[in-house]
Order: sequence, then C-alpha cells, then structure tokens
Amino acid sequence: MSAAAYGPPASTPPELVAPPRTEPSRARRWRRNFTFDKISLFLVFLGIPLALYITFVVSPLIQAVSYSFTDWSGFSPNFKPVGFENYVKILSDDTFLKAIRNNALLAVVVPLIIIVLSLALATMVTVGGASTGQVRGIRGAGFYRVISFFPYAVPAIITGIMWNLIFDPSSGLVNGILTGIGFSNFKSFPWLGNIRTAMPTMMFVIIWGFVGFYMVLFIAAIKGIPAEIFEAARIDGAGRLRTAWSITLPLIRENVQTAYIYLGIMAIDAFVYAQALNPQGGPENSTLTMSQELLSTAFQKGEFGVACAMGVVMGLMTLLFAAIVFSVNRATGGKDRITLA
Amino acid sequence: MENTSFGRRTLLTGSLAAAALVPLASCATGGGSSSPKASAGASSADNPFGMATSGTIDAVIFNGGYKTDYVDFAGTQLTKKFPGVTVKVSPSTQIAQELQPRFVGGNPPDIVDNSGAGAIGMSTIVDQLEDLTSVLNANNYEGKKISDTVFESAIKAAGTYNGKLAAMNYAMTVYAFWYSASLFKANNWTPPKTWAEALDLGAKAKAAGKYLLLFGKEAASYYLTTLIASAIMEGGDDVRKNFESLKPDCYSQPTVVAAFKGLEAIIKAGYMKPGGSGTQFTAAQAQWSNGQEALLYPSGGWIENEMKSQTKADFQMTGANEFTISSSPKMPAGSLHAEAGEPFIVPSKGKNVPGGKEVLRAMLSKDAATNFATTRLALTVVKGAAPAESAMSTALKSQSDLLTKAGDNTFSWKFITYYGLNKENLVVMNSFLEGQMSADDARKGLQAIVDKAAADTSKPKLQVS
Repeated sequence: MSAAAYGPPASTPPELVAPPRTEPSRARRWRRNFTFDKISLFLVFLGIPLALYITFVVSPLIQAVSYSFTDWSGFSPNFKPVGFENYVKILSDDTFLKAIRNNALLAVVVPLIIIVLSLALATMVTVGGASTGQVRGIRGAGFYRVISFFPYAVPAIITGIMWNLIFDPSSGLVNGILTGIGFSNFKSFPWLGNIRTAMPTMMFVIIWGFVGFYMVLFIAAIKGIPAEIFEAARIDGAGRLRTAWSITLPLIRENVQTAYIYLGIMAIDAFVYAQALNPQGGPENSTLTMSQELLSTAFQKGEFGVACAMGVVMGLMTLLFAAIVFSVNRATGGKDRITLA
Repeated sequence: MENTSFGRRTLLTGSLAAAALVPLASCATGGGSSSPKASAGASSADNPFGMATSGTIDAVIFNGGYKTDYVDFAGTQLTKKFPGVTVKVSPSTQIAQELQPRFVGGNPPDIVDNSGAGAIGMSTIVDQLEDLTSVLNANNYEGKKISDTVFESAIKAAGTYNGKLAAMNYAMTVYAFWYSASLFKANNWTPPKTWAEALDLGAKAKAAGKYLLLFGKEAASYYLTTLIASAIMEGGDDVRKNFESLKPDCYSQPTVVAAFKGLEAIIKAGYMKPGGSGTQFTAAQAQWSNGQEALLYPSGGWIENEMKSQTKADFQMTGANEFTISSSPKMPAGSLHAEAGEPFIVPSKGKNVPGGKEVLRAMLSKDAATNFATTRLALTVVKGAAPAESAMSTALKSQSDLLTKAGDNTFSWKFITYYGLNKENLVVMNSFLEGQMSADDARKGLQAIVDKAAADTSKPKLQVS
C-alpha cells in the first residue's frame, strides 16, 4: 500500500491535478430545459431565499449606510444629511479609535491561538495515537472530544458571567488557588480591572469558549483524509509534527481558512464577551469593542447616525480582514488545488 | 466550472442589484404619519386636562426595582374616578430599544417611565415631550393643588430641560454614606462628617481588620457622585452651576480639588479595598452588607432594596450625610444631595396626551403615593406620604430624617446623565479608586470628558439654573 496507489501516476503529484473540464454544450442544454418544473423549483429554492435575503439583510445594510450620512437621533422621523461628518467624528474620537485597535488586536491574536490549539487537539485525537498499527488518536480520544466541546455548548453570555466570577478579585477561584499555593501578591488582584491583564483575560475566555468547536470542525476535516495517506507518511519515516505540518495542514487548508474568517468576524464583534466581562469597557477602555461603543452611542446617547457610521466601519473592517486572510492564503500557496482523487 | 455557472451567477447578480435599489425608497423613517388623536373631553376642575371619559391609556413602565404594579394601583384609582377609562400598563426593561420604533413611527405611548440602564437619553427626545407644568398646577384627587403637596424644587431640578418640565420624577432618592448601625455601636465608632475624620476612622477600621470603603467596577462612579456632592456642599451652588454648564475648569475648582485629595489620602493609606475594578458591583456591595469587610458605602437610597437578600441579619443599614471638606461648609448643615428619580414622560404625539397627564395626577395623589411608600419601602416626591414610622426600615427612616433635616437645602445635578458621560467617567474612576491614578490625573481625565461634551455641537446644551 503506497501513496501512488491513490493518486494518478507517480509522475504527476496530486497537487497538480486540474478539475475535469466540462464540455461547452452543457450551457446550451441547460437553457433549453427551462421547463415549468425547473422554473417553479427555481422560484421556490432561489426566489424565496433571495427575497428574504434582500428584505432582511441587504435592505437594512443599505439603510444603515444611508443613515450614516445623516444626523438621525433614532427617536424622531426627522433628520438631515450631514455628509461625512459622522465618519470624521468617529475617526477623530479617541474612544472609538481605541475600540478599533482593541478589535484589531482581537482579530489578530484570538483566531491564531484558537486555530493552533484546536488543530493540535484535533490532530491528537485523530492521528496522534500510538505509532504502530492502525492510525488512530490517543487513548480516550472520544472522551477528550466530548469534554473539549462542552464549553461551546454553554451560551456565550453564561461563559462570560461564569468567568467573571472565577476571576473575581476577592472570592474568585483563580486568586483563591494562586494565593493558596503561596502567591500572596494575587490577593485581591483584579484580573479584569488591571490594564495589563484585562485584555489577555478576555482573550483567554473567548479562546476557552471556541477551541472545542473548532477542534470538532477540524476532526471532521481530518477524518475526510484517507488513513492510508497518514500510514504512507509514517512508513516513509515522518514524525507526528512533520505529518501535521506537511500532510494534515495542506489537506485541510480550506477548512482552516474558513475557520480563520469566521473567528475573525467573531473577534471584530466580540460583543457578548466584552459586555459580560467588562460592560464599562475595562480599565482605560482596554477591552472596549466597537460594538459596545455602537450600542451606547445609539441607545444611550441617541446618535443613530453616528452609530450607523460605526457599524459601517465595523463592516468594512470585517471585509478587510477577510480580504487579508484570502490573500495571505493565496500568497502562501493556497491557490494550488489539492485533490485526493 | 466557470462555464456552467455563468448563467446562474449573472442572473443572481442582476437580480441582487435590481432589488438593492428598491428598499432605498422605503426606509424605516418612512412612517411618521401620526395616528389619530382620541377625541378630547371637556376640561373642568374635575378633569383638568380634558381627557376623553372613555377609552384606554397606554402606559409603558420600566420594570426595575420598583416593579410596575404601583402604576396599576394608580390606574385603579383613575378608573374609580373615571369609570369609562382604563390604564393599560406594559412593563419593559429596555425602554429605548422597545420604544425607539414607536417614537420614529409617530405612535408613542401616552405615558412612559423612562428609567433604567436602557432609558432614552433625555436630550434626544425632549422636543417630543409635553410640558408637565399643567400637572403641578392641577388639583390632586383630594382637591389640593399638587405643587403644594410635593417637593416642587426637587421635581423641577430633576425634570426641567431647556425651561420645560419634560419629566415628572416620582421617587425621591437620598444620597448618603451607608453603614451598619449595629457594627458602629459595637465598636463605638461614629460616622465621619469630613474627609479628614473619615481618614481617622480608616485607621480604626484597619486595626479591626476591615477596610473603610470598597467599590465595584460598574459603580465606581458612586464615588464621583459623592465627591461632587462634597465639593458643592463645601463651595456652594456655584460649584454645581460650573459643572452643569461644562466649564473648562470645573474639575479644578478648589473644593473639587480638596475633595479628590481627601479621597486620595484614604486610597493611599490602603483603606480602600483593592480589586474593586475587577469586581462586579453587587458582589462588591455584598462584601460590605454581608461580609462587613468595609465600614461605609456611598450610594443612593435604593441600596437597601438592592441588597435586601444579601444583608447580614441585624445590619441596621443607616445613612449619614456625605462628607464635607471642612467643618464649616458654605451650604448650611444638613444640606443634602437628594434627587427625584423615575422620570415619567408624556410624549406629545401620544394618542391620549390628557390621559397620560391624568395618570400622573392619580400617582401624585395621596392614596397612590402612600401605596408606593408602603409597598416599595421608598419615598415619593409627595410630602407626608411616608409610611408610619413603625413600618419603616432603619434605612428608609434615615432617608426620611435626612430629608426633613435638609428642608429646602437639597441639590442635584444632571450634566452626567444629560450628556451621557457616566460610561467614560467610570473608566477614570476605576483607575483612581484602584490606586493606579493620582487624584490630579483623575481630575484631568474627567475634565477631558467634560471638554469633549462641551465641544460637541450636535446636541443642544443644558440650560443651567
């Protein structure tokens, strides 16, 4: 049993196999077959979702953009256009700029750590087991899989409240343990109230909540890789790290990219965690997120126009993030298609 | 791949683009046509606002510490007087989120209790509200003129926006330093009157293994409240006016500097429990009311109700006047930061504006006010509607006593809520109370927040009186 048996002849490595070309006549045939059946199917499965999408996604989006150029208070039907004034205002506002930097930091750090950790865990429970016999995960893999998924089953707000109590300076578990084993400096140490620790603490809570889910996602992806490939690599003398880096990662690259983008979108929002852990924005606004600032601007300050502009900035940041992830993936060789056929 | 999906893709993109243009024409603010008004009745001494004698009044009431059934009670009183009219009370915990579309659509409720963390900023809607002076001028259900039976100056101080009485605040909140009378008695301590006395008490507290003060992260601003009150008591009403008008040096007024120094000395001496900036505020308050880890806590009178289930038995919660700087402050002894809270508003576009005012009239009458005081254990703006002394808790009694002692010398301010500064103030106050920021830097930080609000031209400024 060798890798060659599963790919085309050894002269063409699997990376270079192009998807099969379709014959040009198919397009014409498709048009000819515009029967009632097809049109009704088209209406039900494309028309309705499209209508829903336009009503509930596209139109609010356009509205938000148009309101961002007005001085709408949110509580009266009257407003007048103010051009780019709202954007100038938020982009020269120290608090909002701080929030942008916080979200950018979250978007860089959180997805990276979550993906590294969940990939490591996924590798362990799928292919990291004994190095003889069939390729399998470490002993008790099923158990680890279930317990690491638990945090994700807890609603985000509960996660936030729970960790808020665990990090409580006086009666929290963390300081209790630390002082208990002799670190008396941690008596009443405010993890979420100290400017140096507040952001890392919040990141830790988010990471704790998501690692399990992405681990399961990656497990599914790794299980899709035929075990023979891993066996072949092993026979060729590849260790676990080499296998993970040179076999697993390239083969589940698309999954990693998708996970990275999802996590980035989550980190640019991060509202629930930030609001549960530090509703006032943390020490010196060190955990303030754009979404928190947006909420208070809209409903407490009554400046919906400005809040809409913040929303647009958030949206643009998300797009920018996705674009960066895509181009990094392409630049590092992600465009070369890998197939197992 | 591309060949086959080309047809579908272009079709999709095309329909998307076409559809994208449609909603531009129909936006959320397209409504605005106000709903027809209920036909008004004739106004008379018995029906001063000319309410229609049949129909319903739509009331949306903040469902917080006071719940909403006290408005139901007032509604029953109203129905007794006008049998054809019913009051429909809808509880809400998120006033702004829930009512925003109704204000935009031009069909707001007839009366709203605009309170809680999700309240609508007054500066945003003040133009759409009725002037409630007519309610003060009307007679209550006992036939007495309402302005004679209430704390009128407190109502006007809290509810006047740009010369208009836009909000009728119903509950009377007294601000004080709260302590356990039983604990103080057992240790032979007396509540301090000045910041210097507080520092001395701090040493005694330390000797007893306790802190003088503590704080929680969402409530760090309570200390700013007490510092401003202290500065006003010491320096007189001008200090308050300078804050209200967002003067560029309002945090540099001598009495403000002195008050901040007073608190800083306590923090530096280690009499403030550390870790508050990472502690949820009710958890921190429980360390005071249940754990008795600290002696004093500055707060409004709601503290008793808020901590009811987490207060040590025989705590005997009692309020003392907030600290002054010297023993001879400018304002007379007993002057009190007392504020009328729970702002009720009557939107001008409501279907039944007279009905909204009539609900207020019922609430400001003796039966409803006494009901509120007895069942909510809190005071209203109606004088003499407090429950019997024997029915009062120690905390409620001290609120009542402090109010009586103060007489007309009560004061309050609203620049923080009006301009929405609390969230930013909290950031500075947490650092200051944790000992990470000096008093001077804290004042500078707070001043910067005021300066930013003063420079913002998008909102009308508060008229100071």
